[in-house]
Amino acid sequence: MSAASAELAALVPDAVVKAAFGQSTAHVPLDRWSTTARFAHDDLGCLAFDWLGVEDAGRPGASGVRHAVLLHVLHPDTGNGLLLRTELAAGEVLPSVAGLWAGAAWHEREAAEMFGVELAGPTPHLLLPDTFAGHPLRKDFVLASRVVRPWPGSLEPGEDSTSSPSRRRTLPPGVPDPATWGPREGVDVTAAAETPSDEESQP
Amino acid sequence: MTAELPPRTRGVIALLESNCTVCMICARECPDWCIHIESHTEVVETPGHARARAHNVLDRFAIDYGQCLYCGICVEVCPFDALHWAPEFGYPGTGSADGDGAVAELVHERDVLATWAAEVPPPPPLDAAAEPAPETTATRPVRGGSGTGGRPGALRGRT
Amino acid sequence: MQSYGGIWGVGGSPGASQAGPHVLAFRTVTVSTPAERGLRLDWGTTFRITVLDLGLACCGVEVMAAFDGRGADDLAALGIDPVRDGGEAHVLVVSGTVTDVMLPAVVATYEEMPEPRYVLSVGACSNTGGPYWDSYSVTKGIDQVLPVHVAVPGCPPRPEALLEGLVALHRMVSS
Repeated sequence: MSAASAELAALVPDAVVKAAFGQSTAHVPLDRWSTTARFAHDDLGCLAFDWLGVEDAGRPGASGVRHAVLLHVLHPDTGNGLLLRTELAAGEVLPSVAGLWAGAAWHEREAAEMFGVELAGPTPHLLLPDTFAGHPLRKDFVLASRVVRPWPGSLEPGEDSTSSPSRRRTLPPGVPDPATWGPREGVDVTAAAETPSDEESQP
Repeated sequence: MTAELPPRTRGVIALLESNCTVCMICARECPDWCIHIESHTEVVETPGHARARAHNVLDRFAIDYGQCLYCGICVEVCPFDALHWAPEFGYPGTGSADGDGAVAELVHERDVLATWAAEVPPPPPLDAAAEPAPETTATRPVRGGSGTGGRPGALRGRT
Repeated sequence: MQSYGGIWGVGGSPGASQAGPHVLAFRTVTVSTPAERGLRLDWGTTFRITVLDLGLACCGVEVMAAFDGRGADDLAALGIDPVRDGGEAHVLVVSGTVTDVMLPAVVATYEEMPEPRYVLSVGACSNTGGPYWDSYSVTKGIDQVLPVHVAVPGCPPRPEALLEGLVALHRMVSS
């Protein structure tokens, strides 16, 4: 546990400090996020903003439901860093820390755009075109190009693209099972595999 | 100003068709999905031999150089050394005067890939200062290979 | 050819006139058109093309190397004239990943080019989307929107490969 984390834990009773691989992370509940940030800025002297990032906080299979927000700030004299972490469920609003570190505003807007994290206030698009729908860095956002484009590796040795497969073709990496995503969602794939013509026409 | 290209320069990938067994590994490992392979199976009956043997015959082997990112994964992963790097780099695709078909011309089919095989340089010599490979040591051990947990093999402690 | 007798005309300087009563100085001035003078302009033989490099990403550095690097003295021999303004360029070199956000800017540059205009697509990203073909924000090849006359493969192509692409463009245009 780093010294800064220990000090923070003393100031914020709800903070849980976990240390792993030489890095300490202070986990705080969402309702203590603003006060924890203020303690870090005012009392611990972490005036330098490093980055604010978002990652998926769910277990495999539960992705896209909860997101973790991480904030890394530095003490300008000692160079020591403090890593804060909170978790958000879908629909919960992330309070902004841009009042303490102005640079955080851009990172929060990027998080809102890429992960769908709710912010207080309007969030116009930062990096994506205006016509873009969805939040691309969420784990449940599927890369449509990989689903649509036929994978040359799906053919077996001895097959050409006109032959119907003798068994279900392997999906390329990154493409979800058609039974779980896309227009064929919910269709029984074992039944589908027996009808090769349907298999060929799947997107 | 002419400059000599360094060895193993990546310019274009050549196909040695005689080495290809249509294992499809290169098509599967390519991150850009730019290798297109089609084949069919042929059964060869040799009179006087035990059974008929089936082997895969290559119908189509195409690399889309408009898509290729020249990573070399296909060259590295081919188990039969059918793909090789050649340093040739001047093969732009030209389209019609209206701007049609320039990118499509960058798909090289197997006949074009075979012509690149003439450009493949011989492999550069091994580094003279490197340690000799364990396979080349003069003494042949009683037991070779990689060994097991209980019995060390010839390469134990040397790789 | 103009013929005149000095600044005073045929009559000579005032007071020095040898003609009789003052005759209006008659100056014969002939003009002829450049073609009548024997001048012939052949825009085909001196093939200088103005090239605008739209360097969007990594391939842009290779194009910069081609135009400003050690082989840059070749440009005069190849008749290539790099310019910075779309309004002057006849060849647009699209080099680098074309993102959906950047696409309107590329199209706007193409639209302000004068005819005859040609597009050279440099690198895998600009040809087909390249390694980012599966991205949510990448246009899979500028040929989806603009006509592409020469596509230079590579990731990135050597600067020499780009110059070969311009040679191929010349061959295509002059045939």
